[in-house]
Formats: sequence, C-alpha cells, structure tokens
Amino acid sequence: MQEQEIFFNDLVRQYSEPLYWHVRGIVGSHDDTDDLLQDIFIKVWKAIPGFRGDSDPFTWLWRIATNEALSFLRKAKVRAALSFTSIDKEAERISDPTPFFDGDKAMRALRKAIASLPDKQRLVFTMRYYEELPYEQIAAITGTSEGALKASYHIAYEKIKVFLTNTD
Amino acid sequence: MKTNIPYSTPEGYFESLQNRLSEIPARRTRFNFTPYLALAASFVMALLVGNYILMKTAGNQSASDEEIVEYLIESGTTLAQLEDAVYDL
Repeated sequence: MQEQEIFFNDLVRQYSEPLYWHVRGIVGSHDDTDDLLQDIFIKVWKAIPGFRGDSDPFTWLWRIATNEALSFLRKAKVRAALSFTSIDKEAERISDPTPFFDGDKAMRALRKAIASLPDKQRLVFTMRYYEELPYEQIAAITGTSEGALKASYHIAYEKIKVFLTNTD
Repeated sequence: MKTNIPYSTPEGYFESLQNRLSEIPARRTRFNFTPYLALAASFVMALLVGNYILMKTAGNQSASDEEIVEYLIESGTTLAQLEDAVYDL
C-alpha cells in the first residue's frame, strides 16, 4: 500500500497541473475541471494496482482523463437536452467560464471558437495546438489513427480561422 | 505547452489542488471494508433494493421525471440516440 501511495503522490506532483490544462481545454469551465480532476485521480488511485510499469504513465493518465472529460460532456449534453436547455447555452458555459477567464477580447473570441467545435475535434485541437503533443502520442491516448487525427486537426484549425474571421 | 492558453486559475490553485488530491489515498483507505463486512453489506443492500423495487412495482408507481433523466444519463445514452428516438404521444 505504501508503494502505491508513493507512486500516486509522484503522479499528483508531476502531472496534476498539466492534466488540469488538458481537461480544462476539453470542458472549458474551471469548476467542472476541478471536480473532474478529483474523479480522475480517484480512478487513477484505484487503477494503480493494474498499471503495468512498462507502459507510459503519461499516456495512461491522459487516456483516463480524456475518457472522463468526454463522458462528462456527453452527460451534460444529454442533461441539457432533457431539461430543454439550449445546446448553445452549454457552449456558452464552456466558452465563458467566469470568473477565471482571460478578459482579453481576442482570447475570449478564441475560447468561443474552440468551444464551437465538436467535442472530439476540440480534444484533438487542444492536445495538438496547446499541449503540443505529437500525433503518435495523441493516437495512443485516443485510440484513433494518426491520419484521422491530422484530418481532424486540420478541419478544427480551419473552422477556428473562419469563426475568428467572422467575429472580427 | 503553449503559454497563450485562454484560461486562468485562482491564485494558489495548483498548490491547494495537489494537497486535496494527496488526501485521496487516505480517504479511499479509510473506507476499505474487510471482505466479510463487504459481503454482509452487499447482502443487506440486495435485500433493501429488492424490497424497494417490490414496494414500487406493487403500487404501480412509475418512475419520476428526475429518475428517468438520471437513468438515461448514467446508462450512456447519447444525444444522437435521443434525437433518433420515437416517442409515442
């Protein structure tokens, strides 16, 4: 048990901040990200006994976090649909998580542009553009081929450009 | 990682985050029941849940809207499936 706790604390120390930014890029809201990180690291704690030391902890953690974040978004959309809340309101919440946003107009526009993307495109864009992960690593995390990821990123990038152009 | 991320965090957030996350092992360990206690608890839960279901169905009560919503969300229903569903009016 002590070994598990030492390993877990090392993961928290090394990865909690970059993992925060990864999840935040997907779900947008600071509060949602904070809640999700608790759930993610509880899952990580439970999964440590089954973790094979030969696989990369980064990919393992990012896979758990990505699945949790996407699951959260799916549930939020279903909940919004069932309570007749506009999906646009959900996008608004993702793009403008007050009060922890950069007030710069350009940044807000960029955030809205990213929020307008479908979930998986937003995920690929965040990992490639902000986290600067290689396609090989994104493929290992998402289980998607590199070719599909490159196409997805290109489409996301073009959509953001169009969105920002129309916003000006 | 790029530095022009369009989000910010409260001051001191990451220090407090690490402290809170570091408490997880102690919290999870504290509530770790022995196998016999866990078995007994499962048996009692099964009896209670079964009794609840019997009482619910005996009274011909239908699930509330909230119960239906929670079931759909937790069962993995996607937005596409909801939109494709045909409802009998």
